[in-house]
Amino acid sequence: MARIAGVNIPSNKRVTISLRYIFGIGPTRAQEICGRLGIPDERRVNQLSDDEVLRIRELIDREYRVEGDLRREVAMNIKRLMDLGCYRGLRHRKGLPVHGQRTHTNARTRKGKAVPIAGKKKVTK
Amino acid sequence: MPRSVWKGPFVDGFLLNKAETARGSGRNEIIKIWSRRSTILPQFVGLTFGVYNGRKFLPVQVSENMVGHKFGEFSPTRTFTGHSADKKAKRG
Repeated sequence: MARIAGVNIPSNKRVTISLRYIFGIGPTRAQEICGRLGIPDERRVNQLSDDEVLRIRELIDREYRVEGDLRREVAMNIKRLMDLGCYRGLRHRKGLPVHGQRTHTNARTRKGKAVPIAGKKKVTK
Repeated sequence: MPRSVWKGPFVDGFLLNKAETARGSGRNEIIKIWSRRSTILPQFVGLTFGVYNGRKFLPVQVSENMVGHKFGEFSPTRTFTGHSADKKAKRG
């Protein structure tokens, strides 16, 4: 068990894989971090020395925005759009897709689970 | 894909003149514009524009945060009143 960037406790997986459990670190950054610290690909987290864990932690603290900070930044960006009263902000407020997708059908991710229209008769033969 | 930086922001030229005269003369006059496609520039900050949405001129007070957005973003063109609760469902 290693705690990196606050709450994250990646398991006995490869370092490049388990680093992705941190919000804000995906495949590219995980590779980048391992490359810069010279950690071989097949090393697993439980095989890391304390020093290596420390260096990973320091590197992330220094150069990447992860977890809470990143979440806050994203939320701030959305809030800015909402306060501004621009089109994208309105879409965020209404919980509809922001990037111009169709809403006639689909858009279920943003709209949530489909609600049946109350009182609509089923077609029976 | 965003617009190339070397082109600079897109603004209809006449807006610059309009903004300048508005700033020079009477204060707080709504400047009616149709050019929804124009980028909001720093020199527009503080002015009020009436941005046409196809029906009315919606007043938009330009603040610093709006710089870089387009005028059209602040003047919705569609009305959606929402689905009313079905009367039948209440009765049944």
